[in-house]
Amino acid sequence: MSIWNYVVTAHKPTNVTHSCVGNFTSPQELNLIIAKCTRIEIHLLTPQGLQPMLDVPIYGRIATLELFRPHGEAQDFLFIATERYKFCVLQWDAESSELITRAMGDVSDRIGRPTDNGQIGIIDPDCRLIGLHLYDGLFKVIPFDNKGQLKEAFNIRLEELQVLDIKFLYGCAKPTIVVLYQDNKDARHVKTYEVALKDKDFVEGPWSQNNLDNGADLLIPVPPPLCGVLIIGEETIVYCSANAFKAIPIRPSITKAYGRVDADGSRYLLGDHAGLLHLLVITHEKEKVTGLKIELLGETSIASTISYLDNAVVYIGSSYGDSQLIKLNLQPDAKGSYVEVLERYVNLGPIVDFCVVDLERQGQGQVVTCSGAYKDGSLRIVRNGIGINEQASVELQGIKGMWSLRSSTDDPFDTFLVVSFISETRILAMNLEDELEETEIEGFCSQTQTLFCHDAIYNQLVQVTSGSVRLVSSTSRELRNEWKSPPGYSVNVATANASQVLLATGGGHLVYLEIGDGILTEVKHAQLEYEISCLDINPIGENPSYSQIAAVGMWTDISVRIFSLPDLNLITKEHLGGEIIPRSVLLCAFEGISYLLCALGDGHLLNFLLNMKTGELTDRKKVSLGTQPITLRTFSSKNTTHVFAASDRPTVIYSSNKKLLYSNVNLKEVSHMCPFNSAAFPDSLAIAKEGELTIGTIDDIQKLHIRSIPLGEHPRRICHQEQSRTFAICSLKNQSCAEESEMHFVRLLDDQTFEFISTYPLDTFEYGCSILSCSFSDDSNVYYCVGTAYVLPEENEPTKGRILVFIVEDGKLQLIAEKETKGAVYSLNAFNGKLLAAINQKIQLYKWMLRDDGTRELQSECGHHGHILALYVQTRGDFIVVGDLMKSISLLIYKHEEGAIEERARDYNANWMSAVEILDDDIYLGAENNFNLFTVRKNSEGATDEERGRLEVVGEYHLGEFVNRFRHGSLVMRLPDSDVGQIPTVIFGTVNGVIGVIASLPHEQYLFLEKLQTNLRKVIKGVGGLNHEQWRSFNNEKKTVDAKNFLDGDLIESFLDLSRSRMDEISKTMNVSVEELCKRVEELTRLH
Amino acid sequence: MWKEIGGREAGQIRPNSFANRVKSHRLSTLQLSNYKEIVSPHKGSINSLQVDLTEERYLLSGASDSSVAVYDVQRATDYEGGGHIAKHRSVFVVDKQHEHGHKYAISSAIWYPVDTGLFVTGSYDHYVKVWDTNCTRVVMNFKMPGKVYRTAMSPLAASHMLIAAGTEDVQVRLCDIASGAISQTLSGHRDGIMTVEWSTSSEWILVTGGCDGAIRFWDIRRAGCFRVLDQSQSQLGRRPPLLKRKVSISKSLSAGQNSSVKPRAPQKKSANGNGVRQSSVGRIPAKGSVRQRLHPGMLSSQDRATAHYGAVTGLKVTENGMYLLSAGSDSRIRLWDIESGRNTLVNFETVRLQTSKPIQLATTQDPAVVFVPCMTAVKAFDIWSGKTCLTFRGHYEYVNCCCFSSQDQELYTGGNDRQILVWCPSRHISDGVDAGPMQDQDNWSD
Repeated sequence: MSIWNYVVTAHKPTNVTHSCVGNFTSPQELNLIIAKCTRIEIHLLTPQGLQPMLDVPIYGRIATLELFRPHGEAQDFLFIATERYKFCVLQWDAESSELITRAMGDVSDRIGRPTDNGQIGIIDPDCRLIGLHLYDGLFKVIPFDNKGQLKEAFNIRLEELQVLDIKFLYGCAKPTIVVLYQDNKDARHVKTYEVALKDKDFVEGPWSQNNLDNGADLLIPVPPPLCGVLIIGEETIVYCSANAFKAIPIRPSITKAYGRVDADGSRYLLGDHAGLLHLLVITHEKEKVTGLKIELLGETSIASTISYLDNAVVYIGSSYGDSQLIKLNLQPDAKGSYVEVLERYVNLGPIVDFCVVDLERQGQGQVVTCSGAYKDGSLRIVRNGIGINEQASVELQGIKGMWSLRSSTDDPFDTFLVVSFISETRILAMNLEDELEETEIEGFCSQTQTLFCHDAIYNQLVQVTSGSVRLVSSTSRELRNEWKSPPGYSVNVATANASQVLLATGGGHLVYLEIGDGILTEVKHAQLEYEISCLDINPIGENPSYSQIAAVGMWTDISVRIFSLPDLNLITKEHLGGEIIPRSVLLCAFEGISYLLCALGDGHLLNFLLNMKTGELTDRKKVSLGTQPITLRTFSSKNTTHVFAASDRPTVIYSSNKKLLYSNVNLKEVSHMCPFNSAAFPDSLAIAKEGELTIGTIDDIQKLHIRSIPLGEHPRRICHQEQSRTFAICSLKNQSCAEESEMHFVRLLDDQTFEFISTYPLDTFEYGCSILSCSFSDDSNVYYCVGTAYVLPEENEPTKGRILVFIVEDGKLQLIAEKETKGAVYSLNAFNGKLLAAINQKIQLYKWMLRDDGTRELQSECGHHGHILALYVQTRGDFIVVGDLMKSISLLIYKHEEGAIEERARDYNANWMSAVEILDDDIYLGAENNFNLFTVRKNSEGATDEERGRLEVVGEYHLGEFVNRFRHGSLVMRLPDSDVGQIPTVIFGTVNGVIGVIASLPHEQYLFLEKLQTNLRKVIKGVGGLNHEQWRSFNNEKKTVDAKNFLDGDLIESFLDLSRSRMDEISKTMNVSVEELCKRVEELTRLH
Repeated sequence: MWKEIGGREAGQIRPNSFANRVKSHRLSTLQLSNYKEIVSPHKGSINSLQVDLTEERYLLSGASDSSVAVYDVQRATDYEGGGHIAKHRSVFVVDKQHEHGHKYAISSAIWYPVDTGLFVTGSYDHYVKVWDTNCTRVVMNFKMPGKVYRTAMSPLAASHMLIAAGTEDVQVRLCDIASGAISQTLSGHRDGIMTVEWSTSSEWILVTGGCDGAIRFWDIRRAGCFRVLDQSQSQLGRRPPLLKRKVSISKSLSAGQNSSVKPRAPQKKSANGNGVRQSSVGRIPAKGSVRQRLHPGMLSSQDRATAHYGAVTGLKVTENGMYLLSAGSDSRIRLWDIESGRNTLVNFETVRLQTSKPIQLATTQDPAVVFVPCMTAVKAFDIWSGKTCLTFRGHYEYVNCCCFSSQDQELYTGGNDRQILVWCPSRHISDGVDAGPMQDQDNWSD
């Protein structure tokens, strides 16, 4: 790979961090606004559900999101503050359906220490000021003037240093905040302050309350008429105001989110850490609070935000599981739950670990993530592929072929679906109720298998069976003519178009018929030397109902031949090589280019460029689509022709920018497919699967498809073992609710069904920290190695751990060897046929030794000290790259002769690492604690020891996402015939559920795209006036520097969404045609 | 640690609070390093230590034998004890033999804040010298009217290159590297200036502490000093209460008391001293604060205010720029709120401090701790409570200076015993085989 990297999001963040409800897009419309860390989504509430209106990126990590309505406005404004101290106020422009920036600014200060507990941003209910708590000891006030405009901000000293929450109180003559804080003896208190805007200071507020619940963490201000505040603790809930104090005990729980139900603030929904949803009711007589009541409603995903929408429908945003739209019923269901889940919104976050696998061994990676936390933990299989939206399905066994037919030549829709079986042919048709119903076409022979069917000119249909070719009127459905095969020969394969029929009988006879009005004419007959395996006469020339050429696949010599029609002269003969016969040939044209596709019996597909005039075949290319024979068919979707390759790995072949592309269809084995464009199911496909006939529409091409495997426990590490076709995970399960009783497991899963097939429970307090599938030198077996740590409550850093070596036998995990370590095994790598472990400060190499009794054991060979904590390790050859807890990246080398590991070089910056990966021999990629990416380069040619011992930082970039893992691999199929196929990529997974791709570009392409990015920055303005360049600048406590040697693919690819005029603008400044720009950007979109 | 790492992975612990937790844990285990040693080439007491501000890699030390030395604290020069004790020998030493070397004791040696290409030394021979690090040559010389006690450069400065120098003389001098001349003198102190410190929030603000017991704040863009700290001005942050709501609810008595007293501060001491008075008189200090606000600028009475009885020997602005710590020959450490200029009355449990020499304090932000040389020991105090969190005993004689590397959470201390000691977070030796004998060996004495 190279130092010029291109970072692009393949799967957007799905972790819902904030949500709010209000009249944002119009005074009459109710909107749900969702923040997903670096994106906001605006939805409209309709009787049918949530309707998405806008989904835009924000150039910042959203710290606060609030709706508010200044005086005299009919609809709400949106206030957003980002973690890098920018804020903006947004308004909806109904005409253009865009966001307008009302105000923006920077609220950073030179002084102060950033808060530990997250930034707080609140708006006075009477809209007098915005309050921000960004630094310990400071409360920033942005006042509104009486026209609702923001004035200059100022700071007020806040003596409370450990602030847990701040809210504005309702119903106060002067803006009043209530502060929940912890003192230096760890006791928690609340106090109130009035904000004196003139004096720019606080005035002691009306009341305070000392010594609250030690887990008090959340304040809920209560609106008028009750006013006051609810203080949510772990064991009590307290209502507090100047003249009332009510408390109730609750079952121990940590409340993570709340949502107000009524405008008068008498009911609240509380979501806790275990995903339980409670209703809290403030009972009151008139305006006097008499007590609190709490009731369990049911279970949801673990909520990070709760928004009550309307009519008992609630949006539950989650960071640890799928977000949900739920309905609260009046009556409990059988399980006593009032919660009914209406909809789930997929969330991959937090992606703690993942692996890239190619389960079907076809060059297309799938990402299997460890997602979610606690009870919402799951595995997610993320695959780039095309989905089929099933519309109807029938159980039908043993389908041998399918064709759709129209009732007349000019009917735009298909009426009949001919389904062929081994000894019969059935005809299905849409009845008046839009149901598929069996029907009959009298002229067809239904007691035998149909080999081919087609609509023919003159309102006719043609059916080919092993014995005959029948021409039937599509109006009267009666037989008009029949061609019988010569006695002793039966038709093996056949094909037809509107006016031609080509069939082959045993003995290598090729027969060409032409269709007339009520007549079938045998025009030509040819005797070939071998048996014929497949045929095609799909018309791709000028005449849509007549083909000039025929493609024929042969047994024995394994060739594909092109014949001219009608005279059946051999034009071209192409030997395919190998021993696998062609099973399906297809003539097709994409974007004006003719191709011959030829599918083999072993799942390979060959494609050739076809010269229509000379019949010449050129540019042969071969790809593997599956392992079973493939049947090729054309279909059209959105007015473009595509080819469907039915096999055990169904694939759609399409063309983009005059290149053939292949995309998976997310179906298991498909035996046959035919387009079925009926009035009831327009643009649909009929798909024959195992025992089933399905009718469905097809998705857009190239879309990520996600499959969820809920585990009910928290997966932490995953790895795949090709040989045993299994996954192994380290997971933990919380017994009941108490946090102490965690159970840790190593589990073995089948890589197809994802079922647990074996479990190895770890000891009490023993955590699985790392997992690896590897083999050792002098041992042909493949093992799973698991590194663990004993996390004892009284120890801050584990001092004991184990390395467990398992073998998979009969689907069971068998412990073969174990080795005790003096610390947590943070990382395991296969290294030169040995095992390299990172144990606390040390890198340790273990040999796999054969003992006298024939058993095996891990024996320590050598090690390297000198890290704070060696958390992340990658290896390449003899090189070891270590990502340290806080000391960036260092490079070690293993010296075989001396049997020692030595440090070669290191990056002296103080980066707190979260992941590392080796891009190539010299360049290493790191992700760090402040959401940045960087690359360092080994400088082996340095003149001095000092230079050679230093890893030079060559690239820096602010990703805005916390990366947990890098893996080499690709989500898309790598094709030999595309430039993109040559670009090496690394996939990363983040806490917010982002799956991203980092691609190393050639320098020329990088420079071109960098120029494009610079121009795009000028044209595409960030939401809220946030600056893209600033957003992507590398930023940590010590420095902020412009991004270098990284490009923002998301920005570059948004070029394709620009209007033509803006594209022209960019094309002019770039001095490159729009077509060329589009082409080059589109190429990049194929990376993910 | 594994739990925290797991929490960070799953997004339950914010990355910055993860880092703060780790730092604060590491800090709490600081001890005399059993795996890292700095080999001091000095033949006199060590008066000044500083790690460079760019990479926190090079430690600069200045000693009474008029020598300065630089050590690479990241990369050891050699290993002893079976490869487990990293020896950091000096990269270079400049001593009296150098043709332009100082003649007498070096009291201060600091790095140029932007890079390690330059460093500045101040000496009792009345000179402040600017050195080129790479060729160890003097590139600039500033003559002072007396012994130089302390020099400082602003870590923030983007628009000036001034060295503030505190000397025996009553005036603070600003030496401009850009022009090679003394560009300003700041008058106000009535005695020599032991310590100078730049603000960490503004590049224009300088704080100086004199032998007259005064701490003065200067805005170098304006004439004169704009604030003198007064140890008796102590009521920080008392908010005027709502007058209409008299103390009627029974609860608010305690609440009022609590709010009148600074929650993070110290309150052991003030509860004994003036705490009782506060709760009974309640409102008077509030009026005081109002009056304070009404009369900005320097009154003559304020100009004579003192921060310590005796000399101010050490100053340190906290990283967040909001507080100032001062040490005095009265053996007190005081914590000042910079914005209001008040003494916070945090009671630091010091025993005795050196009185005759400037001492160099060090602070960390996460957690908030100040390191103070207390005679032969160094103590770490919690800034908000003044409680001793750690005591570092290792030097045989008085400790003069300490320097904390926040990047590595390592403390370097130097004293009259000519040693530079390294205090590191304790490290579990992860390999039992080679751990045994190493741990008990007192490897700092040889």
